[in-house]
Amino acid sequence: MDVWFVVSNTILLACIYGTLAIGVSITWSSLGLLNLAYGFIFAFAGYGAWLFAQHVSAWGPAVLASGVLAGALGGLFVCALAFIPIHDKPNFTIRGLIATLAINLIGTQSLLWWFGPRSKSLPEIFGTWKLSLPGMTLTADKAGNVITSVVMLLLVLRWMRSSRGGLEIRAMMMNPHAASIVGIGVRRTSFYVMAITGALAGLAAVLLSQTYYISPFGGLTPMIKAVSIALCGGLGSVQGAIIAAIVLGLNEALTTVAIGGRYVLITQFLMIILILLVRPRGIAGILDRAREA
Amino acid sequence: MNVMQQDLSRETHTLHNHVHRREVLNVCGLSAGYGPMRVIHDLDLIVGSGERIGIVGLNGHGKSTLFYAIAGLTGWQRGSIKLNGIEVGRTRSQGPGRYTHQIVRAGLALIPQGDEIFHGLTVEEHLDSGAFTPRSWRERKERKERILQIFPPLKKLMAVPVGRLSGGERRMVSIGRGLMGEASLFLVDEPSLGLAPKIGKNVIDALMALDLGGSAMVIAEQNVSLLEGRVDRIIGMHVGKLKGEASAALMLHDQGGV
Amino acid sequence: MTELSQAQRTWRNPLFAWDSAQEVEQLPTASYVSHQEIWERTRSSRTELFKVGRLRYYHKWAGHGQSTWRRSRYWPTRRRVLRIRGEYNDKSLRREKTIVDKRPIWWVVGLMVLALVPLITPERLENTLLTAGVTFGIYAAINLCWMLVIGTASIFSLATYAIVGTAAFMTAYASTMFGLPWWLLPPLGAIIGLIFGGIIALPATRLDGFYYALLTLGLNELCRVYFVTSKEFGSATGGLYGAATYLPQDWSSTGQLQLAYYACFTLMLLALLLYRFINGRQLGRILRIAPEKREAFAEATGVDFRQARVRVFLISSVGLGFIGGFYSANYGGVAFSIFSFDTVLLGLAMLVIGGIGRAEGAVVGTLIVVFFDKVLITLGPIRLIIIGLIMLFVVLYLRNGLFGIKQQFRTWRDKKKSERRSTRAEKGGEMLPEEATEARNPDDVYRRRYDKMQREFLKKLVTPEVINEHRRAPQGQHSESLERLLIYFRNQPQPDKYAISALQSTNGYRIVALSGHRGVAPRVVEDKIYRSPVEAYHGVFLRRVQDLLES
Repeated sequence: MDVWFVVSNTILLACIYGTLAIGVSITWSSLGLLNLAYGFIFAFAGYGAWLFAQHVSAWGPAVLASGVLAGALGGLFVCALAFIPIHDKPNFTIRGLIATLAINLIGTQSLLWWFGPRSKSLPEIFGTWKLSLPGMTLTADKAGNVITSVVMLLLVLRWMRSSRGGLEIRAMMMNPHAASIVGIGVRRTSFYVMAITGALAGLAAVLLSQTYYISPFGGLTPMIKAVSIALCGGLGSVQGAIIAAIVLGLNEALTTVAIGGRYVLITQFLMIILILLVRPRGIAGILDRAREA
Repeated sequence: MNVMQQDLSRETHTLHNHVHRREVLNVCGLSAGYGPMRVIHDLDLIVGSGERIGIVGLNGHGKSTLFYAIAGLTGWQRGSIKLNGIEVGRTRSQGPGRYTHQIVRAGLALIPQGDEIFHGLTVEEHLDSGAFTPRSWRERKERKERILQIFPPLKKLMAVPVGRLSGGERRMVSIGRGLMGEASLFLVDEPSLGLAPKIGKNVIDALMALDLGGSAMVIAEQNVSLLEGRVDRIIGMHVGKLKGEASAALMLHDQGGV
Repeated sequence: MTELSQAQRTWRNPLFAWDSAQEVEQLPTASYVSHQEIWERTRSSRTELFKVGRLRYYHKWAGHGQSTWRRSRYWPTRRRVLRIRGEYNDKSLRREKTIVDKRPIWWVVGLMVLALVPLITPERLENTLLTAGVTFGIYAAINLCWMLVIGTASIFSLATYAIVGTAAFMTAYASTMFGLPWWLLPPLGAIIGLIFGGIIALPATRLDGFYYALLTLGLNELCRVYFVTSKEFGSATGGLYGAATYLPQDWSSTGQLQLAYYACFTLMLLALLLYRFINGRQLGRILRIAPEKREAFAEATGVDFRQARVRVFLISSVGLGFIGGFYSANYGGVAFSIFSFDTVLLGLAMLVIGGIGRAEGAVVGTLIVVFFDKVLITLGPIRLIIIGLIMLFVVLYLRNGLFGIKQQFRTWRDKKKSERRSTRAEKGGEMLPEEATEARNPDDVYRRRYDKMQREFLKKLVTPEVINEHRRAPQGQHSESLERLLIYFRNQPQPDKYAISALQSTNGYRIVALSGHRGVAPRVVEDKIYRSPVEAYHGVFLRRVQDLLES
């Protein structure tokens, strides 16, 4: 077995999955909203980047930025439609879930209606260079993917750790009632959160489009993977999501090499079910040491 | 003990405030409650700047509800609440907590009963979260220093998640958080509740030692002896209405006698 | 009236003529207030009066005259077909009947209309409508089973179509490979459903609602990927076809459609029966005790809700497997689209639009969605957008789907009413109208209202003059207003009534409050010790006055 191949694939997959899963995780824990319109935001960002590349400029970083912006816009849209009207109503969690599903249905069908079923491809953002090191080759898209997503993730995490907005989000994640008492507005903060998670989805959409194509329903599989990784990491925990992304990325790389790409989803789900059976609240259940209540 | 005299003394007192002090809080005809239940009945309260006021009353007589109503957290409310001359009371609140953050930003610091804290944040981050206005955010270092002077035990705990602190330490963090912003009105709800008597007394001492400047502080307590003689006024609260100082003394007797 | 009150500013003591030592001749007193005036002022409403109460309108049917009632029952049980309440009307002196629960009537009418659809459809639309009808029957059956899982067992599972699809694919595979006859497919499907359900019920016992929803969503995707990529399940042709079907090949296409329609209609009826038997009987009742978040309470009362949930889940999995087998026997195979995310979404839309937790919600929601999806098929992607918009609207504004509107409206109206009522008026011991509708004894309502008015009146009599008069002479002859006050105080009930206890040790007197219970000692009200009984009397009086003013 080619060890280097497995390692590099693991890192690549872990980066992209991590980007997606952290978005889902943050949304859930700070807003209590399980955003299943993520697939739509993903596709929306992809189409945004595609339109930009078609009509304005095909320069790599600009396309990437436009995808991220479009993702943030999609996030704001979902927030205004599915979070703001019902966040203080009874039974919010289930209703929020269904509302985002409805937005997903409307959004993807609108995209299908507008752009047609043919999938689109983006220009090569990171160029086509190759780096040959002893024992392996590093392609531009792989290196670019890893570097961009790691940089973006670090930026977001750093922002969450040290800025005022990040502190507001983290405070709201822990105790929304107390947050309003110290002057943190739920509605305003929810817009931040959704814009940031949407931007993460947009980034992942552009990065993944280097390998796959952009299609109205192309966001579904990434969304399901993101959701299951967030689930496995323990909804609401950033570290848990990162660890889960690495574990599942490793699993995917190993499965592809050992038994074939067909079985990736099966082994992945067996693994998630196994983890959840042992730890019903995911990997974060092990990490969490703070005294509750 | 005459009823008439008691009313008179209240009148003169409010009059006195009108003349000498700037009003921080002016509550007029406030009623509030949850659903069909009415907890506060046509209540008037005026708090001048620099004042420290104690509100005493038994459990369930509306002390916390009064604070929640001022912060816009009750189910419904009616009547006028003016904070620094800005009207913050709404006839129909759009669901509890919808405008709380705006009221807080207008200069209210509510230190709620039972420590509404963020379990995972460290003490330092916790104190930061209280500094929500741009100015206090910029000055947060000096402000934290000030709070550490008031609560020296917190100095060692700055990097510890709040979820792991003891009840007394949590109360200090919760009060410290309330003192971080530039509030003009501090509402402190039962600072000694659930604490050992000595620690509770320390917490009250710290509140008393605080330099209020132009702001005001209202402390709700069940235990009158902790406040007696140390605040400017003690007001009794009984079934959703405020009683004058005279009847506050009576309540002290009641508590001793029962 | 006013002249009189002007005149009686002072009170002449009638006992003065006997030249008693302590008596004074004249005392200033409160001006006379006629109780009639007070009464009228209290009765005249300051605020607008609103209608309150919770009575609902029921149509009253005529009774049976002389003959005794014949109640129709479901043979062989003692269950009645309709819940009818019989009453005797005092005013018309007749017996009358009220139908308490009208839902069976609506069900019968609705199902009759559905049964008659093939006979009354115009020729031109027959093909479209009957095809949609077939889909409706199958989907309604699926949704009823799903409703059992989500509504009754409150397990938020999204793997329903995974079970149906797996059973359908397996049975179609068995039929094409081993030549099974069509009537074996549904039972085989049921067995597959049981196995599949057993496997996915395993994590359901451990995971919270949301974790499970996401997991099952993933499982659905897993099934899709697995079947789409498997060669033996027809990855090349987009589905697996060629299974045995119950539709006779020599019939005309209209005849086949009608047969399929009625078969699917029967399937839906079976699913309704299943729903009724699970939800309406022991299992459903056990689970209704343990709604989400009250599980600990249910457990404490001895309900094993976990086991009940898993049982419901397994039974509905069997039902879903059966439907899956029927699906492949109906269409002669199955396409991959049954696993697609949109199918799950549409299914969820059907449940949500109708309202979760009700059979009628599942059926009507399915009807609406199938109408948009299959009948208006010419609209293209717009029809799915319309369905999505309806779903979004329902979820944003309705608490429990279309069938929850009535309940939601009533709760909203009650909430607004009571809020407005409590911001509007002072209570003062009188029963609020909302309470009054629930008081057992109507006398209480009036007694408390009278008491409130009496106190209103008495409060106006409390003046410094009256208090001074009492301080001067707590006993003996009093002016009218003081006398009224004292009579009211004396008539108060025993519990918490103030009394004076004489202290032997210090020769003083202290105010206590009676407990009102035999054997329970009175409690001390204040520490103050009065030196003479007269002072103590006055102390009690002051306390009572204060309580009166505060009430």
